[in-house]
Amino acid sequence: MSDFRSSQNEAHPNKTNSLMLGIILLLVLFVSIQIWFLFGALNNALQDNMYFAITTFVGSCLLALASFFVLRYLPDPLKAERKKKKG
Amino acid sequence: MKKAVPDPQDMPNWKSDFPIQQKKATHVSRREFAKFLALFSGTLALANGVIVIRSLLFPAKPLEGEHYVCQETDVAVGQMFQFKIEGAETVPYILVHLEESEWRAFEQKCTHLTCAVRYREDLKKIECPCHHGFFSADTGEVLQGPPPRPLPQLQVVIKDGKVYVKEKNA
Repeated sequence: MSDFRSSQNEAHPNKTNSLMLGIILLLVLFVSIQIWFLFGALNNALQDNMYFAITTFVGSCLLALASFFVLRYLPDPLKAERKKKKG
Repeated sequence: MKKAVPDPQDMPNWKSDFPIQQKKATHVSRREFAKFLALFSGTLALANGVIVIRSLLFPAKPLEGEHYVCQETDVAVGQMFQFKIEGAETVPYILVHLEESEWRAFEQKCTHLTCAVRYREDLKKIECPCHHGFFSADTGEVLQGPPPRPLPQLQVVIKDGKVYVKEKNA
């Protein structure tokens, strides 16, 4: 019998793939911004510009939290493998 | 056709003790990669925090007192002289004799990747030979190239024909 989930999967068979790609791209973007912040903070802290170092630290922490939060939306591993193991 | 199932009796002991295929052990799934990226993101945030804590706890100490460098006659006009100041850490400096009674002292470490800079008399500039960064020999400002900050400068004091350096505006 067809239920909501199976019909949704049929309508969008690449859903897991798109989600995975989106999440990974988002994470790569966050990490790139953090590397930029780190480089700037290092140079500005050397120049006694503490405000810049603190601001980038706060920004970097928020991005790290966002990165962990995004992991909630990772699609579940494929269930076919689990079934195989059970069988 | 059915695959022939290997007899467990024929299987070596190490295979049954560690029944994980090499292919599975080295495979990195996209889930694992995403988790690694999140972990790396956390590490970068920590590193940014370390920079803040380090600069709050250990601020750069200004140079104390005057330090003897050399005799005035040791460095001709247009020449440079390398010297070090010992302290908590040994810092290399260069003394540049720009013109008659015009002296400058700068830290020798380039602000880009800490290569040793040198004075180019033909250009009247300080050059970092690693990536062709140029600094003003007068002020230490960056004129060209990748260095992000000017060279730290010391004040030069001449007393009785001897050259001393001290912290600028000290």
